[in-house]
Formats: sequence, C-alpha cells, structure tokens
Amino acid sequence: MANLRRGGSASLFFIEGDLPSLQAPEFAAALERQRFRSIETAAAEEVSIGWVTCNDPSGGSFEREDIDLDRALWLQIRVDKKKLPMRWVAIYRAAAERAAGRKLSGKERKALKEDLADQLLPRVLPAVQLLDVLIDTKQHRALLFSTSKSTRDEFVSLFKKTFGSADLRPATAFEWAVRGNLALQARHYLEEVAPVQWPSPKPAPRRTAPERQPTSTKAVEAEA
Amino acid sequence: MSRDAASHAFLGEEFLTWMWYRLDTKGGDFDVGAGRSIAVAIDDFLAFAPRDDDETEQTLRKGLPTHSQEARTALRNGRRLRKAKLIVAEGPMQFGATLDGTSMCLSGIKLPDDSEDCESQEDRNLERAAHFLHVHELIGQLYDLFLQDRLRPDYLGSSGELQAQWMAS
Repeated sequence: MANLRRGGSASLFFIEGDLPSLQAPEFAAALERQRFRSIETAAAEEVSIGWVTCNDPSGGSFEREDIDLDRALWLQIRVDKKKLPMRWVAIYRAAAERAAGRKLSGKERKALKEDLADQLLPRVLPAVQLLDVLIDTKQHRALLFSTSKSTRDEFVSLFKKTFGSADLRPATAFEWAVRGNLALQARHYLEEVAPVQWPSPKPAPRRTAPERQPTSTKAVEAEA
Repeated sequence: MSRDAASHAFLGEEFLTWMWYRLDTKGGDFDVGAGRSIAVAIDDFLAFAPRDDDETEQTLRKGLPTHSQEARTALRNGRRLRKAKLIVAEGPMQFGATLDGTSMCLSGIKLPDDSEDCESQEDRNLERAAHFLHVHELIGQLYDLFLQDRLRPDYLGSSGELQAQWMAS
C-alpha cells in the first residue's frame, strides 16, 4: 500500500448532502464516471482532471481496500496538463529566422506555432499532479491537500460532477461559525458582526523616529 | 445565513489575534469541555494583515516573533494577525501548522510521529488520516471558543476592551 503523507498544506470543505456509502455500487460507479482519462497521446494542448486511487494512478480501478482508511476515504485527484513547450517554439523560430535572414511576421509566427503543435504535442508528455483527498463521511468533511485557489475550485467542480447529490462548501471563517456550537443570539449576531477597529495611534509624520502612544484604548466595531 | 463567506474573513484574523492575547494573558491551555484541554503556542512565524490596501503586510520569522518590538508595534497600530505558525497539542499528540486567518487553511501541517503500535503501512495510513482530521477539529474547537466570546452582545465593552488595552500596552 502507498504511503499517506505525514505533512503538507490542506483546505477543509464541509459536505452538504449525502454521499453514497463506500460499500454501495453507486460510489465506485460515480468515481468511474469521473475517473482520470489519459491525454498522453493527445495532439492538442489539454488538461485532464479525474479521480484515481493511491494504488492505481491510472484511474483504471477503485478497489475498496485502496480507499477505506476507517475514519476517512482516501482518494486522489490526478491533474495532467499538456502544453506546447515554449522553449522549443523559440528554438524553431530562431532557426527559421536565421534561415530567412529576417524576423518572421506575425502571420508566419502563428503558422510556425501551429505546425509545431501538430509535430510536437503528440510527443510531449503531460505534467502530472496527484492531490490527496480525505473524505470524512461521518463528519461530512473533506480535506484537499492543496491551498491553491484554482485547485480548490477544480476540486469543488469535480466533486459536484461526481456526487451530484452532494456539494462542497469551503471551510471559511463564516462556514466554520455557522456550523459551530453557538447560542441562538450569537448566530443571529453573526449576520451583522463587523471587524473591530483596534485602537491606533494617530499616523506620525514621515521620518519621525519616536513612537507615539495610543490616544485611546477603546475598541470599536466598524460599521457593517 | 445570507452574507457571503468572504465578508467574514476578518473573523479568522481576529481569531488569531485573540489567541495571541489569550496566550499572553491567561496561558496556553484552552478548556474545550468534556474534560478536554487543548494546549496552544505560537511558534516562529507571524504575518500581520495590513489595515487597508495601501499598507504593507508585515511578516516576522524565526526566534520568538511574539516577543519582538516589531510585533508589539504592529499590535499598538491596531493590526490583526493574518497568519501564525501554531503548535497545538491534546494529550500526548502534538501538531504544528500555519493557520491562515483569511482562508482558515492550514499549511505546513506536521503530524505527531507514527505511534509504535502501527505495524504496517496500512496502520500508519489509518492513523495519519485520523490525525489530519483531528488537527482540523482542534482548530475548529478553538475557533468556537473565540466565537463564544466574540459574538457576545457585551464583547466590545468587556473582553474586547481588555484586548484593546493589551494591544496598546
């Protein structure tokens, strides 16, 4: 069995709605519908995103024993990106300009790039990224091991496409609060709460060394 | 609950600042009920949020940044913490992570060492998965404590005022 990491960065999401149980055939079927599909031989710039497991990064199988970690389900998202290597485009362009003895026009550069895409892309291997995901079905939470905004958005979209009946809410300060153990009055106040304007000394003129003492120690809440 | 999540991002920053105030004035043990206690310390990384778009974000690394003159000055200027590297422990389990108050994401998470009971890779994976979820639960429970204080109607005149005095000191 592969190793689950011991550290890293993670984003928490709250799951709204129900997921099929791991034992139910619908669970594997949902993953298979959105499994990773290879773009190794693609002849165009492409991105492929889909589910895989730690023991089968091809997305070909979703064995229960690869996924079940008792308290959580362990899946991976595989993101492959195939792009025309710009260094090679620059090399071919320089060679074409040397042969022509002049700079290529915009139209010629575009034609060269299209030719190179046809020639090179089938030979270029995509960049591969594997992102761990833990799903806590009891607490209705999911952990994505990335904090990048674009990756988080892709995860939310893939999750929705996979489990149509369930949605993800990023665990922001507001979402944490909504799900917290708060009294009814505090819940109502959460709607209106505004940032506290902590006491601050008046701005000192530039290049003045001595530090000024605060004029007030009163905390006030900014207007919402 | 209709307001969007981004409008409340300041609560995460206030949470980190409150935590520092709480550690400095009452110590690092937080009673989360049911006989459970979470110990917290701020480690060697702090980032202060700018008060507005024109100000710079200030970052302090290494050593004991909470004891530095720069950190005190930032507090006196009413700056909130945007990020802090925390050590969070419950019983023998100790976690390290940097909490981003704006997004509430944890980066650089360090789990406790694998326990000696783990005899196979499968055992280690089970334990690590449980630990990743647990450290988020601990942060959630601490945030809940903060909110219970912050969302009281008399907050600004009571603990908010005390925190303001601490920040200005």
